[in-house]
Amino acid sequence: MTPFLAIVRVTIRQTLGVKRAIGLGLLSLSAAGTYFLTALGQGAGRHPNAAFDVFLGLSVGTFLNIIIPVVTLIIATSVLGDERRDTTMSFLVLRPLKRITIAAAKVTAAILESFFLTGVGALALGIVSAPRLGTTAYIVPLLVGTLVATAAYCAVFVPIGYLLKRATLIGLTYVFVWENGIGGAIPALAGISPWRIGISAMAAIAPSDFVTQLPQFAIGDLQPGAAGAALKALILITLSSVALASILRRRDLAV
Amino acid sequence: MTVAADNPALVVDATVEVSEVSKWFGQKVAVSDVTCSFGPGLTGLLGPNGAGKTTLLRMLTGLILPSQGELRIMGSDPRRNVSRYREIGFVPEEPALYNTLTGTEYVEYSAKLSGLANPGQAAQRALAEVGLTEDAGRPVGGFSKGMRQRTKVAAALVHQPHILVLDEPLNGTDPVQRAHLIALFRELAAQGNTVIVSSHVLQEVERMTERVIAIVDGKLAAAGDIVAIRRAMSDIPYRVLIESDRSRVLAAALIDHEAVFSVTVQDAALHVETSDLAGLGSAIPRVARDLDVRLTKFAPEDESLESVFRYLVRGR
Repeated sequence: MTPFLAIVRVTIRQTLGVKRAIGLGLLSLSAAGTYFLTALGQGAGRHPNAAFDVFLGLSVGTFLNIIIPVVTLIIATSVLGDERRDTTMSFLVLRPLKRITIAAAKVTAAILESFFLTGVGALALGIVSAPRLGTTAYIVPLLVGTLVATAAYCAVFVPIGYLLKRATLIGLTYVFVWENGIGGAIPALAGISPWRIGISAMAAIAPSDFVTQLPQFAIGDLQPGAAGAALKALILITLSSVALASILRRRDLAV
Repeated sequence: MTVAADNPALVVDATVEVSEVSKWFGQKVAVSDVTCSFGPGLTGLLGPNGAGKTTLLRMLTGLILPSQGELRIMGSDPRRNVSRYREIGFVPEEPALYNTLTGTEYVEYSAKLSGLANPGQAAQRALAEVGLTEDAGRPVGGFSKGMRQRTKVAAALVHQPHILVLDEPLNGTDPVQRAHLIALFRELAAQGNTVIVSSHVLQEVERMTERVIAIVDGKLAAAGDIVAIRRAMSDIPYRVLIESDRSRVLAAALIDHEAVFSVTVQDAALHVETSDLAGLGSAIPRVARDLDVRLTKFAPEDESLESVFRYLVRGR
């Protein structure tokens, strides 16, 4: 096993305990649960577009906009932040490894671990909504959007988790002030918003109804495009890894 | 390890070099203008709590950067040349353990991060060296403090580094484990490795090595052989224990000796403070012969590391 894979494996094992997996897993599944309960409440045959409206609100407004950021925030801020808090930084960094290897392994671990949880939620929402939507065509787009958004959020949150002591608070502020406030008010900033990058990926492969119903606030100036969204996420991941590697080279790694 | 003739803080065959290094955290100066070097063999790094030992060791390993000065491991800065970490094993003072891993997994992880071809085999060897083979299958989260320390030592040794930096490695170990680890460190030093051990337990350092670097208030307070350091403290009188069959007679005679500051009689023993150990040593047999006193013991009382260290700390 290469050092890169060893770091990914141990990081996931160290940061994803049973309690955390259950808690965040339930949070991730809550969108599917909400859809199920709403569908029960609406009953069969009422409001023909209601099922789609609920799906749109839950997938874009709740799942991609709140649940994914919260899950990735908790996971991603701990992958390197816990090394500092648990005083294991010396074990990790005093190695004949390029700093970029350590940084990329940490970001990769955060993405895999987070997507393990958010992917389950996305899959469940897609499956639960399929009977009332009359199609399973939203399952894959939702999964792709989830993967892209998860990766982009992890790229933002891993450095925050290492650099800041109150990373969760700062991360939540970022989500609600930047993503929902400033990012919504200035559509041109959509290109650097993980939420909107995820929506862009989802919209590119979802049925056309999804794109036409999508509120402008949710996608900003972005055009639907899976490749473009994936590229943006990849750029964020690269920038994050390079920045982390630089931090590991230039800063004190213990206090 | 060959100590430089003109400066006991430096060694000729240095593998670790510290040049005019300072470190400050905001307004607090943790290490101030320290110059010293370490070579093959075992060196004890001494200092009271908060003296700057841990900061110095962290700078040595590249874990923190000096605010001023330069550190080199085998000629280069490990932060700039990470391949140097193949040569360094570090046992930090803090826990530094992944509690979900077993002892074996932890040491194997260390081997993998060091790029070893056969991490499992290397881990078993390292665990055997610290005497932890039997318990290594348990999660380290449930280990006693002594077992945790030995696990950290095993992880630091797994890639067989030539430079071992050990920050309070004996903390929490029981006497048997301590003796085992001290023997291991001495053996590694005897094999030609550079072993740097910080400890506040002076008797342990004394058992390990004669060469010490003492840090007090972030500054280099003394370096070299313990006896030589003591003898260099010319402003502090020596304490000598003299035992004889007629202590009070001998005490009365010694109090007139020009090099003697004080004499305390305690049963058959005299505790003498003198500024001239050698002079007293040569005068005593003559005085005893003249008074017909039979001497049974003449021994310096404060050439121990503890005494030397106490003087160093008090002097500041």
